[in-house]
Amino acid sequence: MSFLAPFFLIGGLALAGPIIFHLIRQTTKERKIFSSLMFLMPSPPRISKRHQLEHILLLILRCLALALLALGFARPFLTQTELSDPTRAQPKRIVVLLDRSASMRREGVWPAARERVEVLLRKAGPADQVALYTYDRQAEPLVAFDDWNRSAAGDRVALAAGRLGAVTPGWGGTHLGNALITAAEALGESDAKSVPGPRQIFLVSDLQAGSRLDALQAYEWPKGVEIFVEAVKARNPTNAGLQLVADSAESSRVPDAGVRIRVTNAPESKKEQFKVGWTRRANPAEFVAPPIDAYVSPGQARVFALPLPKDLPGAEQLVLTGDDENFDNILHLIPPEQQQASVLWLGAELPDDSKQQLFFLRRAFSETPQLAVHVVAHAPSAPVLPEAVRAASVIFVSDDLTPATAMALREQVLAGKLLVFMAKNAGTASTLGALLGNDAVRLEEARLKTYAMFSEINFQHPLFAPFADPRFSDFTKIHIWKYRKLEAATIPEARVLAKLDSGDPAVLEVPVGKGRIYILTAGWHPEDSQLAISSKFVPLVWSWLELGGGVTSVATQYFVGEKVPVPVGVDATSVRQPDGTSVALAAGATDFKLTTGPGIYEFVGATRRQRFAVNVDANESRTSPLDTDELEHLGVPVAQPNTAAAPVPASKQLLQGMEAENRQKLWRWFIAATLAVLVVESALAGWTARRLATKSAEVGP
Amino acid sequence: MIAPAANPTLASTKLIDPRALMSIRSLELRARAVVEGFWSGLHRSPYHGFSVEFTEYRQYTPGDDPRYLDWRVFARSDRYFIKKYEDETNLRCHLLADQSRSMEFGSLGYTKAQYAGTLIATLAYFLYLQGDAVGLLTFNDQVREYLPARHRKGHLRHLMLALEHPPGGRATDLNAPIERITTLIRKRGLVALVSDFLAPLDRLERNLIALTAGGHEVNVFHVLDPAELNLGLDQPALFEDVESSRTLYIDPAAARAEYVKKLDAHCAALRATCSKLGIGYHLISTAQPLEIALFDFLQQRMRRGRQFRRTGSRPGGGA
Repeated sequence: MSFLAPFFLIGGLALAGPIIFHLIRQTTKERKIFSSLMFLMPSPPRISKRHQLEHILLLILRCLALALLALGFARPFLTQTELSDPTRAQPKRIVVLLDRSASMRREGVWPAARERVEVLLRKAGPADQVALYTYDRQAEPLVAFDDWNRSAAGDRVALAAGRLGAVTPGWGGTHLGNALITAAEALGESDAKSVPGPRQIFLVSDLQAGSRLDALQAYEWPKGVEIFVEAVKARNPTNAGLQLVADSAESSRVPDAGVRIRVTNAPESKKEQFKVGWTRRANPAEFVAPPIDAYVSPGQARVFALPLPKDLPGAEQLVLTGDDENFDNILHLIPPEQQQASVLWLGAELPDDSKQQLFFLRRAFSETPQLAVHVVAHAPSAPVLPEAVRAASVIFVSDDLTPATAMALREQVLAGKLLVFMAKNAGTASTLGALLGNDAVRLEEARLKTYAMFSEINFQHPLFAPFADPRFSDFTKIHIWKYRKLEAATIPEARVLAKLDSGDPAVLEVPVGKGRIYILTAGWHPEDSQLAISSKFVPLVWSWLELGGGVTSVATQYFVGEKVPVPVGVDATSVRQPDGTSVALAAGATDFKLTTGPGIYEFVGATRRQRFAVNVDANESRTSPLDTDELEHLGVPVAQPNTAAAPVPASKQLLQGMEAENRQKLWRWFIAATLAVLVVESALAGWTARRLATKSAEVGP
Repeated sequence: MIAPAANPTLASTKLIDPRALMSIRSLELRARAVVEGFWSGLHRSPYHGFSVEFTEYRQYTPGDDPRYLDWRVFARSDRYFIKKYEDETNLRCHLLADQSRSMEFGSLGYTKAQYAGTLIATLAYFLYLQGDAVGLLTFNDQVREYLPARHRKGHLRHLMLALEHPPGGRATDLNAPIERITTLIRKRGLVALVSDFLAPLDRLERNLIALTAGGHEVNVFHVLDPAELNLGLDQPALFEDVESSRTLYIDPAAARAEYVKKLDAHCAALRATCSKLGIGYHLISTAQPLEIALFDFLQQRMRRGRQFRRTGSRPGGGA
């Protein structure tokens, strides 16, 4: 038992009062007339043992009342340690979550964390159920409950320590929310019913600010699961991190813009002067080009631009020097490369004739640093080279073709190519029929008094999906002066993607074999319509290019642990890892998951290779401590660490004491007991006085 | 501890219990009850007069009254002698009664004042019966009442009435009455001072010297309650001084030894003073029968009378 106001116990000295008063013979109230006091001196109070013995019960009651009062005023409370007596505690179900994210690679963190884990494991009682999980992006059991339960009580800690010894910190990001959810669900499993005691999660982590908690936002934390945070501190406070800043569209247009990197400095850092430069993988310590000086004050982040290394093969990593921790100092980088795409145009138009369709198409596919689209124009009468057809992502047909060419194209379409057929006039119906393999196709020139407009557009289709937003879905400004009527019924498999206000189809999609043929009943050149000069034209033709596989968004930068999609055109069979080993890819695999460490990876296919860089999660560089209040805000109850080794500060102890005292309110019982004792004392004293009075009355006469 | 001496001669006689005596309301009746059984004329007059009983011859000196010349002696011896006779005139007796409030104390059912009053009344009655003139002076912190010594009808009643006045005053002043009586009585006589003497004795000796120098026969009756003599009280209590109303918490068991010691010293000092001045000192407990006090007094007077006759000197004339 502890006391919130122990100085009130000094009041216990008042116990001497009743004892002394009981020792003193009661001073008489009787007055006696005496002739003269000239020979008398006042007598001191006399002490009588006899008196004490007569009223010993009264004395005890009075002392008890005073003692209870003093105890009550001292505001007693039972301390937590007394409550959590291991001999009385119920068996617990505990999950120890050990952080093995990249930030745990900091100096001194991992050994301290392991030590904490081992201490926690040793403290577990024989009836407790313990599981040990490690986590970075995901939590994985190192010692599951079953492993723990199966082992003999004496071997459990050794088992866990043995498995723990084989674990080293990884390179992944800290997805703390996922880990906590995994742990909570592990605690909530059905066999938890066999353990009636509390369910606890001990989180052993550096608890850096970069830990991601977003998963907890949508998770309702189970009741009764408490979290005890065992934060481990790094020895060196100084840490700066390096991240790649995503290129913006504007920067892309500047040739040789280089790369932009962000250098972040931790708030606790002691240093603020760093160097960043290109190095080779073989020798990360040596800059192959003069590094830049990066001055970043603590707690700040700055963006720097570095020129791409030219004529320096193998310089694919940026290294930051000048801070104390190295785990986040290397940024692996694949310099961006321009993609090449090809479009085949089969038509008689002249490329520079601004009234023809080809003119507009060439300008729609203008070159960007990311992509260069080559529009290969081909006369419809000339034989088409199969290579050119294979290389083209999209085939545009605007004129009548020879039957041989039409057949060749149809074969390509059947194999998966995308073909866009512009019905320039009613005479192209035969070519369309040949491409579709449908002789029933008829085109007829529509007669319009003024113009036609798009009325029904299927924005769900990928072709028109970019216009689905109401801001872009207005096609009414595009007037169509001429178009060809196509009876959709003649092509049963055709799907009308857009109709004109006359009800005739404007854009149709016809699946042919593995490929597809899109049919436009009006051209986009000014003679037919205003489509080419509208804002819808460029997105539309790029949609065809994307649908035809001409544009693939090839990402080259990934974080450790992320799944990397297998590129479509590479036909990768294996992945070459940074250390030179290869991992075979299963047939039909769509992504690669084993991005276990930073470095340059490579999809290896029969003919092509595709490289990608994997880096440490940028959030790992945010090494300042996370406030546990953030967990509380997400509804996760964080209990105070119950480590006997760590002395609790006096102020905190006082606060805990006040809280415990306020909760227990033992002083009420003491005051009530005091009152009860006083009532008994009064009754006893009254009875004693009456008895004495009766006796003296009997003796008196 | 001082205890009044028991008189062996009275041991066999039947004495009146003071408690019973004090139950008699009339003071005069009490006096009569005590005096009854005593015979009168016990004492001798110290005054020489011209009466029937010859005492001595004295040579004539000029200035003597020539009427007392014994002419027969002159005829035989041719010398002038004065013939002296024993004069059995009445005694002039003054009784000084302490009526201070300290006399109100009594532990035996009656107060010291009642006892002392009875004693004085007894003396007065006894002397009156002998034909002596009896006067009374009562006092507390000052002289309250004075009745000159007379022997006439009704005087004794006045005297009894004066004695029945209740005690009063805030203190006891022993000096004022003695000084007063010294100035009032010119003729030698008997002076009896009855008091508890619970007052400082500083100037008492000087006043007693003045009184005895006047040729008076002085007797001191020191009246104390038995409870005063040995602090015979059991229970501790707040003791209140009857005169000053001062209170003290006294545990008699604890205070007794010191009290008795101081009282003994006080009594011894008074006794020494009286002895030095030839004053009869009688320490009387109120538990003591009055006859004993009276007997002591008379016995002492007779002894003094015989001594006076043997030495020819005046009693109380000083050593």
